[in-house]
Amino acid sequence: MATEQITPVDLPDPRYEYGADDFVFVELAEAMSFTANFKAMAITQQVAERDIEGVIENCPGNASYMLRIDPEVIHPDGLIERLKSIESEIDISEYEWETRVIDVPVLFEDPWTHETLMEFRDRHQDPDGTDLEYSAELNGFDSVDAFLEAFVGAPHMVTMVGFVPGLPWCFQMVPRSEQLEVPKYVEPRTDTPSRAVGFGGAFSVIYPVQGAGGYQLYGRTPVEVLDVDQELPDFEESIVFPNPGDILNYRAIDREEYDAIREEVETGTYEYTYERVEFSPDEFFDAPHEYNDRLVEVIE
Amino acid sequence: MSETTTINSPMPGVFYRRPDPDEERFVEVGDQVEEGERIGLVEVMKNFHDIEAPEAGTVVEFLVENEGEIEADQAIARLE
Amino acid sequence: MIEIHEGGISSTVQDLGRSGNYHIGMPPSGAMDSYAHTVANYLVGNEADAATIEMTYQGITATVREDAVIAVTGADMSPSVNGDPIGMWETVAVEAGDELAISFATDGARAYLAVAGGIDVPNVMGSQSTYTLVGIGGHEGRGLEDGDRLAIGNGDGVSSAGGETASPEELVGTELAEEYVPDYAEEDSVRIVLGLTDYRLTDDAKETLCDTEWKVSPEADRTGYRLEGPDIEFKEREQPFGAGPNPSNVVDLGYPVGSIQVPQKPIVLMQDAVTGGGYATVGTVISVDRGLLAQRQTHKTVAFDAVDVEAAISAREQQTERLEAIEAEIAGER
Repeated sequence: MATEQITPVDLPDPRYEYGADDFVFVELAEAMSFTANFKAMAITQQVAERDIEGVIENCPGNASYMLRIDPEVIHPDGLIERLKSIESEIDISEYEWETRVIDVPVLFEDPWTHETLMEFRDRHQDPDGTDLEYSAELNGFDSVDAFLEAFVGAPHMVTMVGFVPGLPWCFQMVPRSEQLEVPKYVEPRTDTPSRAVGFGGAFSVIYPVQGAGGYQLYGRTPVEVLDVDQELPDFEESIVFPNPGDILNYRAIDREEYDAIREEVETGTYEYTYERVEFSPDEFFDAPHEYNDRLVEVIE
Repeated sequence: MSETTTINSPMPGVFYRRPDPDEERFVEVGDQVEEGERIGLVEVMKNFHDIEAPEAGTVVEFLVENEGEIEADQAIARLE
Repeated sequence: MIEIHEGGISSTVQDLGRSGNYHIGMPPSGAMDSYAHTVANYLVGNEADAATIEMTYQGITATVREDAVIAVTGADMSPSVNGDPIGMWETVAVEAGDELAISFATDGARAYLAVAGGIDVPNVMGSQSTYTLVGIGGHEGRGLEDGDRLAIGNGDGVSSAGGETASPEELVGTELAEEYVPDYAEEDSVRIVLGLTDYRLTDDAKETLCDTEWKVSPEADRTGYRLEGPDIEFKEREQPFGAGPNPSNVVDLGYPVGSIQVPQKPIVLMQDAVTGGGYATVGTVISVDRGLLAQRQTHKTVAFDAVDVEAAISAREQQTERLEAIEAEIAGER
């Protein structure tokens, strides 16, 4: 396993699409891969650096990206030409960027998400089990513990932020053969606790606020990803903490630690444990497990 | 001699004759109602708006079923 | 100051929206019908992006606590001052102590109340617009309620289109020319540009999308317009990695404002919508027609008319010219 590599994916030609007159949506691939995501991040970083007049919003997605424009300043076709030229210049294997490795404590099988998932059993594929039991079985694990070990066994990279403010979609940093995959609920729940940690498709998420949701529920983190009042020290510059490209390292904690961290959050003193690192896609692809170990070491 | 008053819905939405599926209807045909008494609810955008009797009278008929769709200004019930 | 007595079903303070934060999941919010919002501001001498009160289906009742110049535009909600009807799309003077009552919408769904100087609420992340999901902007991040007191701005946002900055009082009595007043009762089709991930649809499904008289559901609100009608069929496929097994699933992607997502039946995403997710999106309502859709009442029908991007851009340019003409005509009334 230690010698396993990630093979870069050959992406199809990007699909450039109009979102009416004021959006351009670019799908780099239908399937999720690090290659597609790194490309989306690299292109949107280039768009930001070039400060193209008329671009109002610049949103990297999992395997796509989207820009909002003022079409009275830049014609969508003019923008698409520029995007095509950026696309042709980018070689993600040479691309590196500064990012953060972040410790994310999680109380798995917590009482709050358990209550919610039991309440919505009739909307689930497996009405008789729990979301974790279902996910473990579907992915060929013989126990929930073994599944969770895989889930926290390698960090997850934030590949997109959205849905609601602060929700990170994260893709686990392992070769495809080790990727976990689960469907979303058959019918979405009308309720999810805030700070719930969920999984759907091939993405883990943290729900910033209470609300509807369709991802399988595994646990709850005591830390916030959204702080509208910007009271916590890590939210001084933005109401949202996770950014695309961040590396989240989920860490299983017990109830005692959960309560202790929660108290720090509520008194406004909690500070995330994180370190800034230079991320190299090339080195990561070459030996993902070793690379992850080195990344995570900095916050241990 | 008695005059008939129509109660119209001020807004579009879904009309309910009871506060909750498990509870009794607000009023039945034949009931006496006071001015301002609630006779139903209209739900729109997940908000509920009370439909009240504009004056005292007897409920003669409902023109919209429970959970029926209504348009703005559509007649809901008649009072006598 | 304006003191609210009844907030109505859903009344919020809105301007032209907040931009630059879509990538962290923050939708723009802002007036659902930006045309009606902008004209209301012009009628009282404000800039287009001054904050107004957007009222849905039902208006507010309030006491005006200082002399002010107001205008009500959008859906006809039979506004009155001290019980006397006032005109829609018209500049009106009110005095301290006047009772303003805005009733229920007859045609259209949303009305806008502009006050000279603008509604004075804090600017949050570049906008005064209310975004209720996380409780930011507007008045305390929520809809208006009994007892709320809203300050009137001191005129920082007053337009200078007429050259010399005139006092808003000089605009009193201005009526918007008939040709600029929309008729919301006419259920015009809403123009869309097909695209995004519409490759997921069968050809029949694309026809269904454009040939159906869709019905606006009762839940339709600032987040989305859920439409009722036939199911939309997807092409069969081998599931791409990470998308999820449902045929409507895609690898989670960004949703444009105005985009039509299709869990099965269409939902048009509006100003407070989610910014991304895992449902296929199959087209986008053109920017000019998002306001038209926002005025369509629950249970009314809506048909989509597929146009190309050039038509979408030229509709937008025409709207800009129209608003410029309106601003100039109003300024000329002084």
